[in-house]
Amino acid sequence: MNLRLLKIAVLTAVFSALRLPAAECAADSHEMLKGAVNEVLAIAYDGSAASTPLSQRVRPVLEKYFNFEVITRKAIGPGWSQFTPEQQASAVTLFTEVVIRNYADRFEAGDRPGITYSAEVVPDPKRPIVRDVPTTINYAGKKYSVVYRVEKGAECWRIVDVKIEGVSMIANWRAQLNPLFQHGGAPEVLASLKQNLSNSVAK
Amino acid sequence: MNTRIPLLLTFSLLVAAAAPLALAQKTPAAPDPAVVEEMDEYASVPISDPLERMNRAIFKFNDGLYTYALRPISKGYVAVVPKAGRDGIENFFNNLLYPVRVVNCTLQGKFSRAGLETGKFAVNTVAGLGGFIRVSDDVPAFASLPREDTGQTLGVWHIGPGPYLVLPLFGPGTVRDTVGMFGDRYLSPLNWDIQQNVEWYNWKVRTGVDVVNGVQRLPGTFKTLDAVRKDALDPYIAVRSSYFQYREAAVKQ
Repeated sequence: MNLRLLKIAVLTAVFSALRLPAAECAADSHEMLKGAVNEVLAIAYDGSAASTPLSQRVRPVLEKYFNFEVITRKAIGPGWSQFTPEQQASAVTLFTEVVIRNYADRFEAGDRPGITYSAEVVPDPKRPIVRDVPTTINYAGKKYSVVYRVEKGAECWRIVDVKIEGVSMIANWRAQLNPLFQHGGAPEVLASLKQNLSNSVAK
Repeated sequence: MNTRIPLLLTFSLLVAAAAPLALAQKTPAAPDPAVVEEMDEYASVPISDPLERMNRAIFKFNDGLYTYALRPISKGYVAVVPKAGRDGIENFFNNLLYPVRVVNCTLQGKFSRAGLETGKFAVNTVAGLGGFIRVSDDVPAFASLPREDTGQTLGVWHIGPGPYLVLPLFGPGTVRDTVGMFGDRYLSPLNWDIQQNVEWYNWKVRTGVDVVNGVQRLPGTFKTLDAVRKDALDPYIAVRSSYFQYREAAVKQ
């Protein structure tokens, strides 16, 4: 009897472990986004851990909720297919670091911002797996429009772009990376990203 | 739906037949059409920048002007005037720009928004001590009214942005927005000739008001500018891209 119980316990544990990634996924884009924002804000405004750079502290959360492979691919544009697999992997690693540092820079000491979520929008009916979730950030007496573009992958909804006051993060990077690619191909893009990281200090 | 199947089959056969030929010719790897289509939404909007060399030079000049003259003034203003005071001054000047907003709402055919702007102005002027306190934030209908200006009105009238233009001191803009800036100046009460009716509003007072208005805008302007250009690979392109996106979003709003 005890052996049977043990088997059931082991099987339950194994199935639970196998199901874990799916269970971690939020049911809808709103729920995912709220979870992501709350987790990031909890870290960003936790004064007790302030000795570590914010970019390092938020990295695990951002890696969980942002699809950096898609973000990098879209930021580089059609030239992406001319990158070798090694260059693509390198670009994702470098660009992830650039985006995380850039994101961490947005936070300022002070009151925690208030966030209002609006109804999601399907920007292209042909691609219902892509949604825009408009939010309003109320910070230091000012209101900012921030739209999160989310995309459903194999199982989870993940963030693929952030538009602040109508300015898309990806479109902005595309505008900068495209001339580099046109000029010097993948090596120039990678060199510029490396140079950018070496110039900036993680906050 | 059924007519699509033969078409797809024909297309597939054509592609299959063409594939070996393409390989034999050893053409360079073309971007995957599916990937290109997916990325089209972010395809760089063609930005007209025929004066790029001059613009870059002015951009650099402005950088120096900001770093050595205006940023120290901005820092001094932040250090001397407490946040509540700065907010009050900013609210006052924003409230004063009511004619710019209401005229442009009307010119764009947004009559209900023009009405809301009027209500907001009345509430802030009367209950907010002449506009120093933005009490309209407590009224949901007034809380999130987007800003309106003449450049946006020209955009709503389907006038294209024209070439990108970086102006000394003023920074990024387009030909359309530069024309719009003159419209805004004309509509702003700060530039109205009211000395005939208000005797004490002489050129000294007017200059003082202009200086305070200019200085109070600096911290916000630098905050936005820094957010865009910090960590940018090419700050000039980053600012240009952000400016165009921001203005196009404002026109659509």
